[in-house]
Amino acid sequence: MSAAAKAGESWVFWAIVIGYFIVVLGFGSWFARFNKSTSDFFFGGRRFSWWLITMSIVATGVGSHSFLKYSSKAFEHGISGTMAYLNDWFFMPLFMFGWLPIIYYLRVRSIPEYFERRFNRTVRVLATVALLLFMLGYIGIGFVTMAKTLQPILAGVLGWDLITIIWVVAAVAGVYITFGGQTAVIFTDLLQGFILLLAGIALFFLGLNWFGGFDALWEILPREFKLPLAHFNDDPSFNFVGIFWQDAIAGSIGFLFMNQGLIMRFMACKSVDDGRKAAAFNVLFLLPISAIAVACAGWIGRGMVIQGDLPADIAADDIFVRVTALLTTPAGFGFFVAAVTAALMSTVDTLINAVAAVVINDIYRPIVDSRKEVRTDGHYLKVAMLVSALATIVGVGSAWGFSKFDSLYEAHGFFHATLTPPLVTAIFLGIFWRRFNARGAVSVFVAGAGLMVLGRFFPGTLIAPFSHGIDAAGETPYKYIGALYNIVVCFGAGVVGTLWPYSKQVVSNAFDVSDSDENRGLTLWTLGTARHAFKGGVPNDARGEKVLAAWQIDDSLEPGMVLVDATALGQMAANAGDLVYVCDQRWWLGGLRSAHARFEVADAGEPGLIRLAPDVAEAAHFQEGRKVTVEKEF
Amino acid sequence: MGEEAVLTFERVWLPYIYLYGVGGLALFGGLFMVLRSEGFRSSEPRHRRWLNVLIFGFVWYAAIHGISTLAALYA
Repeated sequence: MSAAAKAGESWVFWAIVIGYFIVVLGFGSWFARFNKSTSDFFFGGRRFSWWLITMSIVATGVGSHSFLKYSSKAFEHGISGTMAYLNDWFFMPLFMFGWLPIIYYLRVRSIPEYFERRFNRTVRVLATVALLLFMLGYIGIGFVTMAKTLQPILAGVLGWDLITIIWVVAAVAGVYITFGGQTAVIFTDLLQGFILLLAGIALFFLGLNWFGGFDALWEILPREFKLPLAHFNDDPSFNFVGIFWQDAIAGSIGFLFMNQGLIMRFMACKSVDDGRKAAAFNVLFLLPISAIAVACAGWIGRGMVIQGDLPADIAADDIFVRVTALLTTPAGFGFFVAAVTAALMSTVDTLINAVAAVVINDIYRPIVDSRKEVRTDGHYLKVAMLVSALATIVGVGSAWGFSKFDSLYEAHGFFHATLTPPLVTAIFLGIFWRRFNARGAVSVFVAGAGLMVLGRFFPGTLIAPFSHGIDAAGETPYKYIGALYNIVVCFGAGVVGTLWPYSKQVVSNAFDVSDSDENRGLTLWTLGTARHAFKGGVPNDARGEKVLAAWQIDDSLEPGMVLVDATALGQMAANAGDLVYVCDQRWWLGGLRSAHARFEVADAGEPGLIRLAPDVAEAAHFQEGRKVTVEKEF
Repeated sequence: MGEEAVLTFERVWLPYIYLYGVGGLALFGGLFMVLRSEGFRSSEPRHRRWLNVLIFGFVWYAAIHGISTLAALYA
């Protein structure tokens, strides 16, 4: 009997697992009471500080199948197994100064909504279908991963098969997100982000202790195992250039630009600048640490096999559970299993919440609007909860399909290589090419996707020219480098569609760099307009200071307004009509008790006091007697 | 995977050059577009700091991969 199965028979193990879940679910549920509207449910009220968002992103990113998937690859291929964790910086300029401010200032509630504003309703429908397929499939992969984590433990103890375990974890995840919403997910992820990193690093040090220190482990590992990047093109199942295009290009862009769950997390930031900080800190510092946390079990496992502590024929997918069970007590093992499965639940919950956002904003709300019916925000909130529950059930269905894949790495790679290129291409051309039009966007989704399908059927003819010398091996040849072909055909379809029917005049117009009225604020080149529209006036970028003040509700103020005295207004370099962020002075709340508003004219203000319109006070959740910081935005 | 594996240029340095060559094109091409757009305001001190951070990030990761490759080969 393996150490994992033995641990499953220990009551201490189960006490830790169940206790962990109760604490995490209770933690998230407490924050669910801050949901007052669909804006709160989906975007957490756009109020949170960068550090809170960046830690919650860790749980979402790391939790998404990483411990199992990367331990397995690290065991097989060494340190290069984590290369996909360290290649996400290349598109940060376009994300930080392009996509992030565009979606934030446009106040889009979903990625497809951007497509309707930028192009037309047809493109929005196509984008909605593509995005829902992507997210529901991703939810399925999450369920399969959770079930595979628990299977070595549960199969022996309770006799549950993979599908039964999938249903159980789906039920827990579905109940939680259905009632919790984005605020609950953010705070649960914050807690789990810390726990996951600490657990992974603790495992690393326990492993070093097993060998007698870092030098001892380093010495016994082969040189090739220690290289950070894979062979350029030698191994069809794991080569550098294929994974570069599948992960560093398609995967990174997909994660940053079209992962609705992640986008919603950035939109929950209190400002665009906080979104930039969250993204930068996450990629620069937390991803390298996360890479060690998620992959170290594979490196340690390889060392254990070399030393004879583990059998040489051990399955790579089992290495995380086997190594963790060996290095810890039943209580410690219970903690690791609970932390990993709970983090996977965070990933799935984020996606379920994102599916609800897309269904409500891109399908249900437009239908209601077309019938000229009037529905309250509370009604949409109830429908969002119902959709969350339904998305969980559909996710279980897709989990069954993905349980047929040989490995999680392949299932995940299949998604990024096949489903991200059309959406990513449409987003990229949409925000960076002013004259990219609806015909071009439809071409990407229809002709581009069609050429991708053809590539699957005729890889030797269509994908081989992009193969960089990789052998066409196995039932699905070019599984990674196929992403390059998919990106090229989608871009090609978009360009040809935009330029069609070809003529000198059409081509000349296509590269005209002058502004067009219909695209104002929707492309990188007209972001100033988007910012202007977000404020509803000319932005005030004069530098001012934050001001500390007591607060009071003033029923005479118009909704969304606050009032301070002229001195405070001067300190902040603010004018009447400027946007303002009011926040509880306790920084460690991360913006949980805060609100955005607009300055009223200052004549009637009192020194040291900010008066809030009743709706602002309700949104902010301020506590009596607590002072607040007042900060002009722009 | 074993100690006897030959560590050729394609195995060790070509991936590194490709990663920071093609990746560098994406990063600096993106920076070029951003600097020419309305998204970046050179009069804003925070935006100028972000420009430095973006370049630092590229150097940071190139250093991580470069140093860890040298460590694997010689340490």
